Amino acid sequence: MSESAQSKSAVPLETSIPPSGASLESILCTEELYRRPSRPPDYEKENSALVALVSALADSPSTIFQTLAETILDITQCDSAGLSLLTRDGKKPDVCGKRFYWPAIAGMWNPHVGGGTPRNFGPCGDVLDQNRTLLFRHFERRYPYLMPVIPAAEECLLVPFYVAGHAVGTIWAIMHSDRRKFDAEDDRVMAALGKFASSAYQALVHIEDLKFQVAEREKAEAAVRELANGLEAKFRCLVDANIMGIFIWNLEGKIVEANEAFLHIVEYDREDLVSGCMRWTDLTPPEWRDRDEHAVAELNAFGSAKPYEKEYLQKGGNRVPVLVGGALFEEGGNEGVAFVLDLSEQKRAQENWKEAQQALHITQLELARVSRLTTMGELAASIAHEVNQPLTAVTNNSNACLRLLAARDLEPQVLRRALEEIVADGTRASAVLAQIRALIKKTPAEKTKVDINEVIQEVLSLTGRELFENRILLERQLTDALPLVLADRVQLQQVLLNLIMNGIEAMTAITDQPRSLWVESRIDESGDILVAVRDSGTGLGVEADRVFTHFFTTKANGMGMGLPISRSLIESHGGRLWATPNYPHGAVFSFTLPVDAESPS
Amino acid sequence: MTRASVVFVVDDDPSVRSSLKFLLSTVGLQVESFESAETFLQRKSPDAPSCLVLDVRLRGLSGLDFQRELAARNIRIPIVFVTGHGDIPMSVRAMKAGAIEFLTKPYRDQDLLDAVRIALERDRARREQEKDLTDLQQRFDSLTPREQEVISMVVSGMLNKQIAGQLGTAENTVKVHRSRAMEKMNAQSFADLVRMIEKIKGPAKKAS
Repeated sequence: MSESAQSKSAVPLETSIPPSGASLESILCTEELYRRPSRPPDYEKENSALVALVSALADSPSTIFQTLAETILDITQCDSAGLSLLTRDGKKPDVCGKRFYWPAIAGMWNPHVGGGTPRNFGPCGDVLDQNRTLLFRHFERRYPYLMPVIPAAEECLLVPFYVAGHAVGTIWAIMHSDRRKFDAEDDRVMAALGKFASSAYQALVHIEDLKFQVAEREKAEAAVRELANGLEAKFRCLVDANIMGIFIWNLEGKIVEANEAFLHIVEYDREDLVSGCMRWTDLTPPEWRDRDEHAVAELNAFGSAKPYEKEYLQKGGNRVPVLVGGALFEEGGNEGVAFVLDLSEQKRAQENWKEAQQALHITQLELARVSRLTTMGELAASIAHEVNQPLTAVTNNSNACLRLLAARDLEPQVLRRALEEIVADGTRASAVLAQIRALIKKTPAEKTKVDINEVIQEVLSLTGRELFENRILLERQLTDALPLVLADRVQLQQVLLNLIMNGIEAMTAITDQPRSLWVESRIDESGDILVAVRDSGTGLGVEADRVFTHFFTTKANGMGMGLPISRSLIESHGGRLWATPNYPHGAVFSFTLPVDAESPS
Repeated sequence: MTRASVVFVVDDDPSVRSSLKFLLSTVGLQVESFESAETFLQRKSPDAPSCLVLDVRLRGLSGLDFQRELAARNIRIPIVFVTGHGDIPMSVRAMKAGAIEFLTKPYRDQDLLDAVRIALERDRARREQEKDLTDLQQRFDSLTPREQEVISMVVSGMLNKQIAGQLGTAENTVKVHRSRAMEKMNAQSFADLVRMIEKIKGPAKKAS
């Protein structure tokens, strides 16, 4: 092995070497072959050798070149024999065809197996270039790299061989001494063996290509198998996760396979599936069949159907709203997969949301009506003006009359006119009052059984925006399951809205401490419902008692009407409304309401 | 009370308007009434003492806005406000802007009449003051430039001799200018003249 490695390294890969040695003509002696006395042909030996070669080619193609080398050695009785093949490597163009290598050597040069020569500067290259058998004598004289290849070659007979007209290599026989000279018979035998070499080479190349192709194919198949396994595992994982309903179907309407999630949605058992009686066409209520047909048309046209909402009939006959989408496994195929999402929850949530929206809307409408009433303050101011005007006129006219009487300036016409105006203005004032009375009568209190916590929540949801915008922290301390109160819901909303808005407004000026609003509901010591609204605002100071006085206000834009109205509304419900200071800051407004006697406590 | 004085009533309520007119007429006042601030502004302001009885709450321009509008137009008519329900900030605002009185309906008739009387008196005084000043100015303007120069120096406390020295004339000439100026200004005494010039030029302009 070490010798072989040495010899291999002795033969460089360069494509050409500067000719420093002998000329080609001086090392050739091919013509001598025919001048030398020729030994008689041994056809029998030759035939048996060829038969052995052919069977060896069939049995063990991998060693056929070595067998060939040994056959050459045997038939020509030379010292070394072997093959040179042009390198052939499609992946490395700088290697392909640039060099000869020795795949098999028999005899004395056997240790040099694997070595070789450059294509363009060596005996094999010369043979291919001249396209004929050549006999060399001491070719190391021309090719210095062959010097270290020992023992030196006295004579070397080289025969080219071809595949499909292309030279691919040589076979050769070497004599290391002059104990025997090659002759015409050797030339003939070598030519025959060259033909065999050509066939063997071709066969081997085919086998190699075939092997390569087989290996590549196996590799590709393995990759595909792995990919398929991976995909299947992923798909299986998706199916088994039961995040959504998945089933495999065919266009005839059969459900071939389904996961638990799907069975759960339609409330079928695995036995139903296994028995093969589950059909997606039967699961679909009649009015949805058109939509399904549309989806099938989509599948046939595009391979997949966009998700759409429909209903399935459950085993028990109930309907379940679902979202369905699907895809064919193969274009133009018959089977596919479908995924199904149960929309019951969403639909229910949607319904609830709609109901909540509606309830909120009603509350808002009611509050709008209330807030129109809450502008009672402004209404009162307007009433005051409306009543004041005729009263002022009455006073003016009366005073004028008194003055005339005092001055004894008694012109009856003047006095009569003044008195007539007094009567007219008096009538006008009482008309205004009658209008107000009519207005108040239009809105009688409607007392129903009311859950106070519900009212609190309604009002808080309406004031949520105010709380958020004023960065006020809201804390609810609502006692569950409080007994109901018999009350006008709208009026209670009005009172709470008033108290909460007051609390918010009292805190808008606070910047050096947290703004907090507490709303509490509970049963007080005397068994009444107690609601308290606490703020951390500016507080009431010494004016705590005056806030319930009409027209008293601590607010820049207040009318001083809200709290007195609130108090009278609470009192009309049999309750009390009062204010106390909150510690360390702010105020607490509390009101009580008697519990409805019929309500379970 | 001056005969020609006029009380203007602005109130959008016709019965209040007519009753006020009636009441004010019983004490011999001449009254003109208007239903809005805008109609009042269309009337040419009278050349007689006058005042305004104004409702705060009017259609269109409010009473307080109207007050500001009059000030902006440099119409210096005294205002007595009356209102259905006035709050404290509203009345403070009105008074600060120069209102005579801020009465809440229904008011005592005497309070209104007193307020109107004060308003008219104040307007009369202002008018007289303005008239005096105009007369003085006219008299001062009738002096020759040299006479004006001389009395300005006299008022500032200079002696005739000093004035003559400064103007480069004889002391007698200064005396002549001075007596002519006194005569034209209708000044009874030197002290009288000093008061007149102070009125025209303002008290700050003393000797330099």
